[in-house]
Amino acid sequence: MNENKITVKSGLPSCKDVMVHLCDNLGEELNSPKCVEIKSHLEKCDNCQHYFNSVETTIQFYKKYNVELSNDAHNRLIEFLGLKE
Amino acid sequence: MDEQKLIELAQKGDRKALAELVKAHEQTIYNFSFKICRNKDKAENTMQETFLSMVKNIKQFGGQSKLSTWLYRVVTNHCLMLARTESKHTADSFDDDDLLIDEKNIADWKITPDKAAENNELKKILDEAIQKLAPEYRIVFMLRDVEGFSTEETASMVELSVPAVKSRLHRARAFLRNELNTRFNYERK
Repeated sequence: MNENKITVKSGLPSCKDVMVHLCDNLGEELNSPKCVEIKSHLEKCDNCQHYFNSVETTIQFYKKYNVELSNDAHNRLIEFLGLKE
Repeated sequence: MDEQKLIELAQKGDRKALAELVKAHEQTIYNFSFKICRNKDKAENTMQETFLSMVKNIKQFGGQSKLSTWLYRVVTNHCLMLARTESKHTADSFDDDDLLIDEKNIADWKITPDKAAENNELKKILDEAIQKLAPEYRIVFMLRDVEGFSTEETASMVELSVPAVKSRLHRARAFLRNELNTRFNYERK
């Protein structure tokens, strides 16, 4: 079990609230009162930090996985379009 | 020569200007197409169809958006059309947040994304994970998170409402994160 999971008090976000909300708002402004509470929760909760980091890492993996267009594929494209000089 | 001038020349039938525009955007469109198709032949075919649409319709391009944004819209449509002809997914398979997010015992990923480009085993895992995601979700994830378009721009490109994009995005992120979590053997014990 996660020892760092915070106790949910009435009106405060649970770990699940944080995770759903983070998923909705990653990369966006987090200035609303709810987001301030969420950030506060995140700072104290290892569980949510791990989740947040793993989602960010997932995005970074796909950002960094790129493919190069080969010269042959470029030539086939230009020929396909009838733009060869 | 700047892009606006090239577009004006292309709209007057200048083939050299058209070729320049193709050259300026082919890498971006091919890369995006690959990220959706996860197959080099399909990505090349989709790229060709996208630029054929550009060549045929360049006179209708009014300049309200950047040419690159217009091309993303076209390639997105081609990717979706291709995906629908071979779809093995159901778009409603990610509707339950309780199944997507289990808040107990989240593992600390001791892995960094820096080596993704060189690691073939990791590439295979990334390909297999995203191929399980329905194309409608995959495209939203790629446009918003990977290519960096705003939620509003993404919504416009895929002709969805902003709340619908946010919903798909959050489910796509959670689904992919869970898939990788499993493949990296971080599943909770």
